[in-house]
Amino acid sequence: MEWLFLAVSFVAVLAAAMMLTRQNAVHSALFLIVNFGCVAFLYLMLDAPFLAMVQVTVYTGAIMVLFLFVIMLLGAETTTDTSGRMRWLGLAGSVVAIVLLLIFAFPIASDMLADESPEALSSRARLRVINAIPGGDAEVFTVMEMGFAMPLAGTVSANVALDALDETMADSRMDGIVYGDSREAVRGYTEFEAGDYTVLVGVDDGNYVSGPIFTKDLILPAESAFSLVVFENDEDLVDVALLEDDISAPAVGMMRLTLFNAVTDRQVSLVDVGQYTARRSLCEDASCNSLIPHRTLIDQLPAGEHTSLELDEGTYNLAFVDQDQNVLRTLADYQADRGLIEMRVLVREPGVPGSQASYRAAVYHAFGVPAFGSPESVGQVLFIEYVLPVMLVGMLLLVALIGVIVLARPDALAQAERRRINRRRRVNRPLVSVISQQTGSDVLSGDYLAKLPGGPDDGSAE
Amino acid sequence: MNPIGTEPYIVLSMVLFLLGALGVLMRRNAILVFMSVELMLNSANLALVAFAREWGQVNGHVFVFFVMTVAAAEVAVGLALIVNIFRERQSINIDELQQMQG
Repeated sequence: MEWLFLAVSFVAVLAAAMMLTRQNAVHSALFLIVNFGCVAFLYLMLDAPFLAMVQVTVYTGAIMVLFLFVIMLLGAETTTDTSGRMRWLGLAGSVVAIVLLLIFAFPIASDMLADESPEALSSRARLRVINAIPGGDAEVFTVMEMGFAMPLAGTVSANVALDALDETMADSRMDGIVYGDSREAVRGYTEFEAGDYTVLVGVDDGNYVSGPIFTKDLILPAESAFSLVVFENDEDLVDVALLEDDISAPAVGMMRLTLFNAVTDRQVSLVDVGQYTARRSLCEDASCNSLIPHRTLIDQLPAGEHTSLELDEGTYNLAFVDQDQNVLRTLADYQADRGLIEMRVLVREPGVPGSQASYRAAVYHAFGVPAFGSPESVGQVLFIEYVLPVMLVGMLLLVALIGVIVLARPDALAQAERRRINRRRRVNRPLVSVISQQTGSDVLSGDYLAKLPGGPDDGSAE
Repeated sequence: MNPIGTEPYIVLSMVLFLLGALGVLMRRNAILVFMSVELMLNSANLALVAFAREWGQVNGHVFVFFVMTVAAAEVAVGLALIVNIFRERQSINIDELQQMQG
């Protein structure tokens, strides 16, 4: 890697020096193209593939073509460069360059760059809390006693206490985490400084948060993302599971699906059943000798566990199946969009006593974080954080375009000159006085009029 | 991860910038002066990209993007000016363009 860098940078510096010393401007332009190409290669080595491509397109392509075009249009290839009078500027330039080099080299030589630690900025960790308890437990959810049968009413409030004292508690609270697929509430992670945390989760009955129902110690490394899933375990107790989420962008044309099994007594499989939808079981018949054709995506996931897979984009008929081949939940016409990162938490909802239990696959989305320097990452920053500058730069380009058209109009200068001359020649006096001044005779007097053809004394009239 | 640190890139960008500055000072051909300015802008871009990787922030890339846009606009206008000056005076030697000298 080092030799590659050395070779490319050597070529870059050599091309720049050649550009400066060539007498022929076309040769200079060609050496500058070599230099720009080397810089584009260095961008690739610096994890900036998008900028490398833009460099090749804009600089080595468009701008240099413009340069070569102008040089050849003007025939200015071999313009004599030294006018003699300003020859001392070369010496002065060299001295200035050496002084600047020393000034610039000083911080690097004295290791001032190395003192800063680059970890300071990229030490964020993301955490989200997912409530996977559908409000069926009176110990946890007071709303149950108020007669709510709908599971969406239960809320859990999470209190993330910090070891670091400089951050206030208010900043670290995540209030009102509601059960269900409330995408807005749970989609976004809360960002924290990386470090060790103790999470306290209490019950929120709408008025106040009563004491922590559990505490969990967390270690959040930098650039990580975690989901803290609150669910009921086999003993009907509130339990938490900590999932490390992979929020890097999925492979091209794929989506990533993570399944968390919060159903206590079942091992859940995720199968793709093709066209066989809306079934209660995977079995072909009552004795279950054979199964309908299916493709197993996730096999026998125990309660409290999670796993993830990547799906090609497309439409699927998915089914969650337990170990007895009973279909717990179907997802008909499931759209797998490319780049999507989705988490499904399968829970059993408390139904009316006596009736069959229903299951629900609550969905939680996440934004994929594109790779550093990729077109996606640059585009996201460009069009989210820097929309206004992008618009202004676009306006600048438009103004420059108009300016170029105005400047390059073939006879812009000549027209301006002509307009100036016309203005000077404009006369305000009557035409007759101009004629009289130029002929030296008074054209308005009677004897002059008489000499004119068609006048009163004209002989031809007789 | 890339085994080459940020410092070599900064040194290279520094050298390229100085070569560009030298070109602006030494060459009298207006087009070559322009090309040297482009070289300087490019070396600044290289430093920006190197620091963007050092800090793990894409904002540096965005800034480079803006610099490229401005450079493209500047080249278009500047070359149009040079064409007009050449048409007027049959020369693009910047020593001969002294009518704005005070």
